[in-house]
Amino acid sequence: MTVLLATILKVVVIFGALISAAGISTLAERRVSAWIQHRIGPNRVGPFGVLQPLADGIKFIFKEEFVPEGANRWLFILAPALSAAAALMSVAVIPFGGLITEIDGTPILMSIADLDIGALWVVAIGGLGIYGVILGGWASNSKYSLFGGLRATAQMISYELSMILCILAVVAMSDTLNLREIVNLQDSADSRCFGFLPGWNIFYQPLAFVLFVICTFAETNRHPFDFAECESELVGGFHTEYSSMKFALFFIGEYCAMIVMSCMTVTLFLGGFSVPYWSEAPFLIGLASFLLKVTFFMFLFLWVRWSLPRFRYDQLMNLGWKVFLPLALVNILLTGLAVSL
Amino acid sequence: MANLLFYLMGLGAVIGSLLVVTSKNPITSVLSLLGTFFCLATIYLLAGFQFLAAAQILVYGGAIMVLFLFVVMLLNLGHPEEGSGLEFMNKRRMPFAFAASAMLIVLTFAGVLGQGSAPGAVELAHMATIGDLAGLMFGSFLLPFEAASILLMGAAVAVIVLAKRERTQAVER
Repeated sequence: MTVLLATILKVVVIFGALISAAGISTLAERRVSAWIQHRIGPNRVGPFGVLQPLADGIKFIFKEEFVPEGANRWLFILAPALSAAAALMSVAVIPFGGLITEIDGTPILMSIADLDIGALWVVAIGGLGIYGVILGGWASNSKYSLFGGLRATAQMISYELSMILCILAVVAMSDTLNLREIVNLQDSADSRCFGFLPGWNIFYQPLAFVLFVICTFAETNRHPFDFAECESELVGGFHTEYSSMKFALFFIGEYCAMIVMSCMTVTLFLGGFSVPYWSEAPFLIGLASFLLKVTFFMFLFLWVRWSLPRFRYDQLMNLGWKVFLPLALVNILLTGLAVSL
Repeated sequence: MANLLFYLMGLGAVIGSLLVVTSKNPITSVLSLLGTFFCLATIYLLAGFQFLAAAQILVYGGAIMVLFLFVVMLLNLGHPEEGSGLEFMNKRRMPFAFAASAMLIVLTFAGVLGQGSAPGAVELAHMATIGDLAGLMFGSFLLPFEAASILLMGAAVAVIVLAKRERTQAVER
């Protein structure tokens, strides 16, 4: 009973934290962009503008619900929900921390579900978020939306391949798909790189790490690969026709997907919740270490967005199929050779 | 509870696959097929095959169906007045469709009634982890597995050849 209660509590806390983090990320985006462009950014609502996401949310709820003429009504409503739900569900297997406590001999671990197929789950369920973009773009009955949806589709399929191959390289090294075990392996003392560096996969798989991080940008439709939105050509891309909370749901989905992808990068390549040189770190220190690493990657998402120009679409496709895929394949081949020897 | 879920998902899969062939809108067809895949993935989960369920969602749900949607949207097939999917079945093609369906039905019943007569069925029944699956797939059943992949490859090439010929004829007309 207590174990069930603990599980429910974990679900509530993790989902609540994820949605709040998505809200905070929207503020962070605006503040970081302002900082990079020597502006101040929103600072009027609450101290330093921290209540801005809340004010935005209230505004979105009070806006008019609008379905454009000729749109496919059900799909139009379903699309943003799909987009957000997929991103929220994929966080279920991320190990945020180690052992919290033990209840009646049952260890309570800081992750909603500890699946044996964890890494696959994130890719499979997270990949479904694309349906929100495609269906939203198609159901809007607007050419800009449709183009946005089409671009997102092609982009997603192209980069998912390289991303999965990068994950596969880590999986081949760790011999498991379970994310918690992947973290524990990176934490163990005999996995130290050159005997002194922490045993993080980034040191064993530098190429896979770089490819993976770039692929996460493409997978989440973020700058410099945000062709699904592409304001200068497509007005707003797939969400041109969306208003009120439906529009906001797309954004919650996008930021949640960014957070999940950051969590995946940290878990696969940067030792997850482990603390270097301190294997028996207490739960809270581990959690803090995890959140610190994730925050860095979230900042990287914003930093890149406000520093780099957008690619051209053909450049994106060339990069995906002619550079990333061969590199990822070579990497998996070398990893396979190294593991089998 | 698990039984109820199994029957619900089975019903969903049957209804979904019926909708795929009968619905007039290609997008509805694609989405029904997606729903069917999800029902099947849930059934795999109920049977304890986590990896199979995840692979089903990842490969079919996440990649193949996205590609289908992409093609349907790119060719702008989304207009309901294009006609029902059943109209495509003219008299010439009907016997082949029936023959293929009959073969599938026979194979399905042979699998159900034969209970384990198919190679590998017994071992799979009490196999849960990915390691076991990999052992079977790349160990004892490596040859059938590779043969199946070559068969699929051949089918893909054949489809491309067939589709290409139809295209040039359409242009000549």
